[in-house]
Amino acid sequence: MPERVKTDMGGATAALDYDAELMLRVKEGDGASFGLLLEKHRSPVVHFLYRMVQNQAVAEELAQEVFLRVYRSRSSYEPTARFTTWLFRIATHLALNSLRDGKNERLQERLDDNSSDMPARQVRDSRPTVEQKMVYRVRLEEVRQAVAALPEKQRAAVLMHKYEELEYSQIARVLRCSESAVKSLLFRAYETLRARLAYMA
Amino acid sequence: MKCPIETRENAELLLAYCTRKLDAESTATLERHMEICPACREFASGQRAVWEALDAWEAAPVTLDFDRRLYRRIDRKVSWWNLLVRPFRPALVRQGLPIVAATCLVVMAGWLLERPASLPPVAQPQSAQVETLQPDQVEHALDAMHMLGEFNYRVRGDAANSKM
Repeated sequence: MPERVKTDMGGATAALDYDAELMLRVKEGDGASFGLLLEKHRSPVVHFLYRMVQNQAVAEELAQEVFLRVYRSRSSYEPTARFTTWLFRIATHLALNSLRDGKNERLQERLDDNSSDMPARQVRDSRPTVEQKMVYRVRLEEVRQAVAALPEKQRAAVLMHKYEELEYSQIARVLRCSESAVKSLLFRAYETLRARLAYMA
Repeated sequence: MKCPIETRENAELLLAYCTRKLDAESTATLERHMEICPACREFASGQRAVWEALDAWEAAPVTLDFDRRLYRRIDRKVSWWNLLVRPFRPALVRQGLPIVAATCLVVMAGWLLERPASLPPVAQPQSAQVETLQPDQVEHALDAMHMLGEFNYRVRGDAANSKM
């Protein structure tokens, strides 16, 4: 295993052990530890769900359900896996159910509306021209549509790999498949994205 | 080096390279390979483009009242059970024992009432024997009472005459 990866994994492992420790404290009735876990994982979970369902309101609703389930499962919690693996398994399960149930409707207007919520710092020029803004929006829209067009499992795998930086083994546990299956999923997903987004280079 | 494109098992090397997670030694080896492999160069170039495109997609910040809403839901979930149990809790704690005792008494009483067949025969009360008397016995008794009444009347009448 590469050195850099090893270092990253070492740091991640230590952090995740701490999360499991916090969760065990929650199990013992420590509400403050739940607050710490919420503070740490709130944004990653909401952002992951947002990119999965591409709707902020639905993403936050699902994230609430994720943390609610974490809290309600505290009495039966056993640190058999890393905390983030467990957390993202719940989140992925809920997101996939939501997509399959058709609760989330990714309307074009919503995408357009949300695109205006993006912070200005994403545009390289501090004073972007109208043309630059339009180009940015078109590109962003293309990225969103390309990700949304991926099969659900590939989408979840890409989002966990790219944005949440989960390891292959963790993604495998979340998606309940083998590591080699995850690698294959990611390879095919990135292949599809390259075909669609490579022109942006 | 075997071409990562040809051996899919090694494709993760290319992904790791494009995400800058590959160690220095493997990076150098892969870069040497890419100098002579246009397929890998193209892959890496395309993957970097995808990576940068995905980087541009930032999620909106979480709404400020997220925690408040969550804790409200947690409280609601907890108090839902409490609400369900609460009406029964005082009765169980304060009145549980008397209720159980009363229930036991009722059950015992019911059991005892259902049980007389198995109990030893109890002596019948005297009044019950009257019902078993024959009519002629009653007639004799009434005659005897009438005679006693007449006897008393005559005795008292004789006593009154002697005083006068």
